[in-house]
Amino acid sequence: MPHYGIAVDTTRCVGCHSCRVACQNQQALQPDQSFNWIKEKDSGKFPAFGTEFVPLQCNQCANPPCLRVCPTGAIYTSPEGVVLVHEHRCVGCKYCMEACPYKVRHIDEHTGISVKCWFCIDLVRAGGEPACVTTCPTQVRIFGDLDDPNSNVSRFIAKHRAKPLRPDLGTRPGIFYKRS
Amino acid sequence: MQESAWGWLIVSYLFLAGAGSGAFIAAVACELLAPDWSKALARAGSLAAGPLVIIGTMCLVFDLEAGLWQPWRQIYLVSNLSSAISWGVLILSAFIPVALLYADALNEITFIGRFVKRYTRILGVVGVFLAIATAGYTGVLIAVVNGVPFWNTPVMPVLFMASAMSTGLAVAMIGAAVIDINTIRTLSNFALGHVIFLVVEGMVLMLFIFMSLTRSTEAASSAMMLISGVLSPYFWSFVVVLGILIPLILSFVEYYEYGRMPKSLVVAADLLVLIGGMSLRALIIFSGSPPQII
Repeated sequence: MPHYGIAVDTTRCVGCHSCRVACQNQQALQPDQSFNWIKEKDSGKFPAFGTEFVPLQCNQCANPPCLRVCPTGAIYTSPEGVVLVHEHRCVGCKYCMEACPYKVRHIDEHTGISVKCWFCIDLVRAGGEPACVTTCPTQVRIFGDLDDPNSNVSRFIAKHRAKPLRPDLGTRPGIFYKRS
Repeated sequence: MQESAWGWLIVSYLFLAGAGSGAFIAAVACELLAPDWSKALARAGSLAAGPLVIIGTMCLVFDLEAGLWQPWRQIYLVSNLSSAISWGVLILSAFIPVALLYADALNEITFIGRFVKRYTRILGVVGVFLAIATAGYTGVLIAVVNGVPFWNTPVMPVLFMASAMSTGLAVAMIGAAVIDINTIRTLSNFALGHVIFLVVEGMVLMLFIFMSLTRSTEAASSAMMLISGVLSPYFWSFVVVLGILIPLILSFVEYYEYGRMPKSLVVAADLLVLIGGMSLRALIIFSGSPPQII
């Protein structure tokens, strides 16, 4: 089984939010709902200053804090290393939202269950890639198998020494960032 | 990015579960250690414990989303024993019946109470352990969350336990005054308990704030929010002055003036402790900020 992950090249991101719109389309979300965000980080001071765009979504941790605290066992890791939610088990206690250090979970206002990015697993299992990856005009995201050293994503991570967000938290995320 | 996922319902639950289990401990301690001091305090504490924890648990249920609309989902709540909520459900399910049974036995309300009257002492001792579990678990619940660094410390359950003891004693004393206003004179015996619990609570709170200031940048920013930031007016007025300092002074006076303090001031001190306990929970929940991730 592959272990899917994404490498994010923040130096290419222009902050156009196409990934967000593609995700909302793919998952049929409301305009104010989203499974991914673009965070902005300002650095430097005049005249040498800039804004870094950091796309953020569920990090598909190999050691997910949300899974550990879920009282109903609704959260599980799929064989592909994707963290998924049993929709019929979740009670909406919001403990996973508190436990997630990346704060990428929220409650779906119609069903009342905790939802998040699930790597478009239906597309991926059919041989495709997540909507945020394929739609990006500057190809910020690279999707692939982290366990295969010859996949594009593994080679990108190795070449640029891409690192996950806050590796010190011990969550072992499946999303790696090449930062400016 | 976003506010805390938990709001006033969870704050109320943390407070009510703490106050209820604290009142139970106060009642059992009074009944076992000093039965001749005040019957009213043991009766009031035992009567308040069960209903307070039940109201708190109802707050928890109302905070659920899918589980509120489709209540059968709640059967899954004990599925994951690595989750503090699963443990909490088990502890609450055990503590609530024991607390109700103890109140029934002590006050001989129904025939069941008269039937288990002989086992009052055993019920009390078992209940105290479950009450400690209930009060401590409210702290563990938020202490194991690594998505909020401010809460993620072993001091948290200790702080909530100390607060549960002082608010529980306050509930029992107010209840005793309501049941039998003449007992208020003997309540001065318990003022020393207030002094001890409030001093411990104040010291643990100080420890918690000081440690948070140096633990991590996120915990420090939450602590700064409390001591000098946007929440500082509430923290200093409701928690420190109204919730700890004034009741501490009043309890001191009450203890040394034995029974001569105006009744209204005795009850006021207890009410202030309750306001302080509720504010403490609210401020800790609302000041929790997520880790700096980018």
